[in-house]
Amino acid sequence: MTPRVTIRLTTALLALGALSAQAQTYDVLLKGGHVIDPKNGIDRVMDVAITGGKIARVASGINSNEAKKTVDVAGLYVTPGLIDIHAHVYLWKEAGGEGAQADAHSFRSGVTTMVDAGSSGAKSFPDFRDRIIKHSKTRILAFLNIVGAGMGTGHEDEPAELDAQAAAKTAKENPDIIVGFKTAHYAGPGWESVEGAVKAGDLTGLPVMVDFGRINATRNINALFLDKLRPGDIFTHCYSGHREELLSTGKMNPAMEAGRKRGIIFDIGHGAGSFYWYVAVPAYAEHFYPDSISTDLHINSMNAGMKDMTNIMSKLMNLGSSLQDVVRMSTSNPAKEIRRPQLGNLDVGADADVAVLRLDRGNYGFVDSAGAKKSGNQLLVCELTLRAGKVVWDLNGRASQDWKTFPYQKETWKK
Amino acid sequence: MEKINRLFLPTLILFGSGCLFAQQQQQQQQYDLLLQNGHVIDAKNNLDAVRDVAIRDGKIAAVAQRIDPAQALKVVDVKGLYVTPGLIDIHVHVYAGTGEPRSYAGDNSLYPDGYTFRVGVTTVADAGCAGWRNFEDFKQKVIDRSKTRILAFINIVGNGMRGGKFENDQTDMQAKPTAEMAMKYKDTIIGVKTAHYAGPEWTPVEQAVEAGTIAHIPVMVDFGSNRKERPMAELVTKKLRPGDIYTHCYSGLRDELVDGKVNPAMFEARKRGVIFDVGHGGGSFAWRIAVPALKQGFPPDSISTDIHTGSMNAGMKDMLNVMSKFLVMGLPLKDVIADSTWHPAREIQREELGNLSIGAIADVTVLRMERGEFGYTDMYGARLKGNQKLVAELTLKDGKVVYDLNGITRPDWTTLPPGYLQQGDAKWDAVTPVPVRRPAAKQ
Repeated sequence: MTPRVTIRLTTALLALGALSAQAQTYDVLLKGGHVIDPKNGIDRVMDVAITGGKIARVASGINSNEAKKTVDVAGLYVTPGLIDIHAHVYLWKEAGGEGAQADAHSFRSGVTTMVDAGSSGAKSFPDFRDRIIKHSKTRILAFLNIVGAGMGTGHEDEPAELDAQAAAKTAKENPDIIVGFKTAHYAGPGWESVEGAVKAGDLTGLPVMVDFGRINATRNINALFLDKLRPGDIFTHCYSGHREELLSTGKMNPAMEAGRKRGIIFDIGHGAGSFYWYVAVPAYAEHFYPDSISTDLHINSMNAGMKDMTNIMSKLMNLGSSLQDVVRMSTSNPAKEIRRPQLGNLDVGADADVAVLRLDRGNYGFVDSAGAKKSGNQLLVCELTLRAGKVVWDLNGRASQDWKTFPYQKETWKK
Repeated sequence: MEKINRLFLPTLILFGSGCLFAQQQQQQQQYDLLLQNGHVIDAKNNLDAVRDVAIRDGKIAAVAQRIDPAQALKVVDVKGLYVTPGLIDIHVHVYAGTGEPRSYAGDNSLYPDGYTFRVGVTTVADAGCAGWRNFEDFKQKVIDRSKTRILAFINIVGNGMRGGKFENDQTDMQAKPTAEMAMKYKDTIIGVKTAHYAGPEWTPVEQAVEAGTIAHIPVMVDFGSNRKERPMAELVTKKLRPGDIYTHCYSGLRDELVDGKVNPAMFEARKRGVIFDVGHGGGSFAWRIAVPALKQGFPPDSISTDIHTGSMNAGMKDMLNVMSKFLVMGLPLKDVIADSTWHPAREIQREELGNLSIGAIADVTVLRMERGEFGYTDMYGARLKGNQKLVAELTLKDGKVVYDLNGITRPDWTTLPPGYLQQGDAKWDAVTPVPVRRPAAKQ
């Protein structure tokens, strides 16, 4: 409440002070767009005003005179900046690794927050933070790998690397970045990796994200959801089918619904090998929808069927989700899952991370991890992305001015 | 559907029959991949018409009005789309991964594969991020690990593009070691770069030209600060050799446009054979320069992005966005394609690229021309509106699919058995070929 009051006061003061001039209260006004802000239950045409990098006002009919810059977004959808809670953006210092550059993939598909899903562990996190996170324009948060050396380092099955105390300590030292723990790619046969991650979670009060690795007779999703994980823990790759999510009968494993009832979160984590139409279509038929959409971006998924965040959102729309649903799965839901209630919404006073999306109609093909195609007629395209109130992506120059009238001599206005 | 069946049937037969029969099947198929009914634009061969294009063993095998689809393992209908040689972007910055901040041999660079195939680019030339001192590190870290074909202009500065302190150090501009490194890696190093020089001397240009002369490769010039002691006119009419490349030609920062007219020295230089390249970047392309230049008959010889972390999300965006800018300024599509394929291939003396001659490397791009209302912004954030935009539907490198926007090479999932596996054949597919690593748990 306090920030909201402060903002309103500031706004009021600014407005008073500027009365003699043009009374330009706002830095940017996104005008005429259809706002979808699931957290606040907004789903209609409204204007969004931004000041000082924060959302200043969301209302109908905000006057353009009140803003230094007005961007006409009529016919487009205005949503909170998208949150991708499963990405790999830790580029190693030495050659190798599968991470991608965050800024090269985020803004152009409306993503303003990426959560790295365990690329680094307690030993490598300081390097990740100093060399990558600090210099990135994208907001990067992280699930810390329970494996101290991190992902893809050849140590993911070593019991000595599964140090819950060290992971918890690193998380406590970096509460601004670390939102949970990741366990991934564990070959088993036991539960050491999951138990280590959950223990770290218990020590810190943070959730765990699970890429379940290999299953066997006892290490299965039924036990995982009902005995091992806690409510609020996240099962990613939920439509991969690699861990009996779909039974050979073509029906969803009852463990999935039982897990959901217990409060387990189901996340897409598309990647290069974790999304198949033969799982997703039956899941939708049984109304088993994901809680959150995420890319599992890395160098092997970026040019395959995954492509980017808006492509996956489009896939789910063509499966039957509404636009409102996929926006919720990409904003307020993931924000809740990573316990960052200040993200994924357009609250007054929130950081002005905003995506402006266009919904195209036509004939499109969407490809899964096996290279199988499903046709669809809807495609989401990112037109404009703002991070902390600044334009960081503008596909068609909507925030720009025509070159014939542009004040080239001054060359003052730069994004 | 017809095509899917044709594909699927041989697959079933392969699974169901013995090796011998499979071999016979393959022998009957002369081609690995056939692109049918596309509009081919191939500047080298002066082709601008609907043609079928067949590929075998990573090379162009046939281009004809009709090629028998029964002769191909994989047939893709690209009717209504343009088929061009894989795009060549001769001005990029991809020496990423050193962790050096504010350096093109570091954080200003980006890994290429995320920005190439999805916009139809199959070959890039790094524009001088590394010099002779760090080229081998660049090669080991990036060039050898990338799927994109990476060539390089070697910087005349031994330390490469590591910032002003290094790039203005005349003592580190040495023709001999630069040329030696270029000759040692002649498969990769296709030119010499000089860039960002602030001083009044001609040293970097002269050393670069000397290195280029020793190694028989062209020089690409980013002419740095505009100094009256070394005017652009003298550079392009006297200092550079025919075949040397003046990049950032529409920046307007070095008197490219004088009193609204294209600098006459540029026309004179073009007659001499000096090449003018776009090199858009974050600060090298202005509508107020490009629009009058094109109107006055000064189109580019080659189109390039100057992609780096500062330009990738700004007005530049990517290769197709820059190409689309020239389309909406009125340059014909076939010229825009030539400027992004055959012309740059010739400029970097790589004539096996950028064309669809029989036997050429089968880097192929399939483009869709979108019509609508689009906006394009320049380095200052000024916008020009246009109604054309190029989109990459399919990219092949060495004859294999490396990007497929709408799955035009893919079978519909409903035609496949439950629990289907990866569908592509390694003969034409580099995205999801069979077999591929899968979690062992899946039985």
